[in-house]
Amino acid sequence: MDILTFLVDGLLIGFVYGIAAMGLTLIWGVMNVINLSHGPIIALGMFGIYFAATSLGVNPYVGVILVSFAGLLLGMLIYAIAIHRVINAPHLSTLLATFAVNMIIIGLGTTAFTTSAYNVDFSLGNISVGPVNTPTTRVIAALASVLVTGALYFFLYRTTLGKYVRAVTDNRAAAELMGIPSARILALSFGLGTMLAAIAGGLIATFFPFTILSGGAYELKSFVVGVMGGVGNPLGALIGGLILGTFEGVIPAFMPTSWVPVLEFILFVVILLVRPTGLLGAKK
Amino acid sequence: MSILEVKDVASGYGEVQILWGASLSLGQGMITSLVGANGAGKTTLLRTIMGLVKPKSGSIIFNGQDVSTLPAHNKAELGLILVPEGRQLFVQMSVEENLEMGTAPKRAKPRKDYNLERVYTIFPRLKERRAQKARTLSGGEQQMLAVARGIMADPVVLMIDEMSLGLAPVLVLDLFQNLRKLKDEGLTILLVEQNVQMALAVSDYGFVLAHGKVDLHGLSANLIDDEHVREAYLGI
Repeated sequence: MDILTFLVDGLLIGFVYGIAAMGLTLIWGVMNVINLSHGPIIALGMFGIYFAATSLGVNPYVGVILVSFAGLLLGMLIYAIAIHRVINAPHLSTLLATFAVNMIIIGLGTTAFTTSAYNVDFSLGNISVGPVNTPTTRVIAALASVLVTGALYFFLYRTTLGKYVRAVTDNRAAAELMGIPSARILALSFGLGTMLAAIAGGLIATFFPFTILSGGAYELKSFVVGVMGGVGNPLGALIGGLILGTFEGVIPAFMPTSWVPVLEFILFVVILLVRPTGLLGAKK
Repeated sequence: MSILEVKDVASGYGEVQILWGASLSLGQGMITSLVGANGAGKTTLLRTIMGLVKPKSGSIIFNGQDVSTLPAHNKAELGLILVPEGRQLFVQMSVEENLEMGTAPKRAKPRKDYNLERVYTIFPRLKERRAQKARTLSGGEQQMLAVARGIMADPVVLMIDEMSLGLAPVLVLDLFQNLRKLKDEGLTILLVEQNVQMALAVSDYGFVLAHGKVDLHGLSANLIDDEHVREAYLGI
């Protein structure tokens, strides 16, 4: 493969990193909760489309749509059960609560699926443009991610419910005073965050094999991408995702893959040194 | 007839009790002021009335309904609206979006156009700045927006906490005159103020809060002349 193919491959997956990070930073931006169950929910998204394809026999992309709704509901449920009672407690409490959810999902998932690798048996062939040749599923994943980003923006800036989410992000007490049921909006926001995680997982599973533990790596990437792009800034997350994806694509062309995280985190530190609020600035 | 009745309310934050049996009542269609020194518990009383702080004892009757333990958003839904101290705007949102957020209660939705027209007539500056983010407004404009956002909720009772704080006297006078206009349209208003003179001048009835209790109350015109009030709060 030549360098251009590496670059395109990385860039395409970068879009997916972008929406995974959006899920993480949306939750942080709205309610100042770091969701440590982000990774396992990405993994559940992967298993979701696997079982949608094998048990229900649906197309993996229909599976992604099903998984997105399941992710939304699961997130609202997690919020209601584990987060809401500690939402006003110090950060350590919410960290532990989401970490507990993380352990529960991984524990149940390991029991149900073991930690061996699964693979969605699905291919749409390759797309060639000039010298670049890349799996069609990656191109679709990137396009879907752009679509999801657009939909998120539309929701947050053009719909009343989305504006309520922004109002609660901005000033929760004031929102409550104006008659906005802030607890329900927080639940919805948490659901949206997990929905984005599940979609990202589902899209990744269309071209990579996975285990119940696969989400961890993507969770870490989401942190890097989110902080790099500016926490609570969806467009920043997308751009951060593209940078990270490009790095991952290009570095293996020059040096062993094990250097990827080293250089990624060096880049991460440099960006934070130069622009502490992230590339596009935090939304707060 | 009283639209809001607060009876013997005790509340506070954690171990710290601030209110020790505060009572007040608002006459429908009147401007009532609640005055008192810094730390008397005025803001806590408002937060308790709204449900942001839970009362330890006592009751809050709004429009004949016991709302003592109702969360704030349900009270807003019923038409009990607080313009909080420090404005508490949605600073990242535009002026118009802030006003739109005011229409969250169901009862406010059918009256959105009417109320928008109304606030733009009272505060033409906001119309000029409707696309601007709230945080870029001046202090006076921010206070106008906070009041306007409250009006957008189509309140039955509008409670305003420290409207005059940090504003130039001429601006305060202007805002108070606008409140009289709203009163003439039938709105019941509770003004909470450290600016005792101004508050009593604009209101019909007044309550004086001291050490978490209502110390005295009466027609504002009488309170202004009350020796105790003049000495303790007006410094005359």
